[in-house]
Amino acid sequence: MDVIVAGIFIYAGAIKALDPVQFASDIDNYKIVPWPVSVVLAFYLPWLEIFCGFALVVRLLYRGALSISTALILTFTFATVAAKVRGLDITCGCFGHASQHWSFPAHLATNLGILAALLALWVSNRSAKPL
Amino acid sequence: MTSSLVRQALILAALALLPGVGEAIYFRHKISWQSPIPPSELVTVAQAHVWGENVIWVDARPDEEFARDHVPGALSLNEDRWNELLPQFLAVWSPGRKIVVYCSSLSCNASREIAVRLRKEAQLPDVFVLEGGWEAWLKSK
Repeated sequence: MDVIVAGIFIYAGAIKALDPVQFASDIDNYKIVPWPVSVVLAFYLPWLEIFCGFALVVRLLYRGALSISTALILTFTFATVAAKVRGLDITCGCFGHASQHWSFPAHLATNLGILAALLALWVSNRSAKPL
Repeated sequence: MTSSLVRQALILAALALLPGVGEAIYFRHKISWQSPIPPSELVTVAQAHVWGENVIWVDARPDEEFARDHVPGALSLNEDRWNELLPQFLAVWSPGRKIVVYCSSLSCNASREIAVRLRKEAQLPDVFVLEGGWEAWLKSK
């Protein structure tokens, strides 16, 4: 399970790190933060996802990676729902062009699936000795 | 345990800063910190007027707004009917002509989206976004 979740985060981060200009535009579409903040997030978040993914694979800084990953997926889910509530018809940008035509239910289901996997990792590693 | 978790999270957050800053430096000429649209892809109403007949105006607003009023000679091309309207646009386009896309105002996204699709999907050069959109056009009249 670690490897699957880590793979998702590494893939999602890598595909966005390759095209930060597009990702900044995707963040801006949510109309939650001003453009300069979108640019900062576009350069920073993909690498945070990649580092968290690698930390989950090698089990170094594991709990830190789990907590950041959980916070990220909660934030993405909140942003998705907020966009839908405000009637914004936008591409999610979660997995670059691969997710360009995802519907809202598909997007939400993916996020909730990842969140469920992260929660399972929290539970299964609750008694593990922190590194 | 909580302090260890916070410490680990802070270490990861700090580590991610390094490549993030590196990438920001690498892409510094490809993205504007002031506007989602790079300055080289923006055009003012005055500049577009200078181009005169060499401009194809593209209205990226919804059909009903286009029907209400639009820039004289503009073609409607919006996300909702992209597949239907693109061939009509391509029939009018010719190499060397500049394309100016507009939507309602400074804050709308439609013109940017259509401009990106014209560049990437239709592979057209010289595609610009009108600064201030339809509102700017009205003010300039």
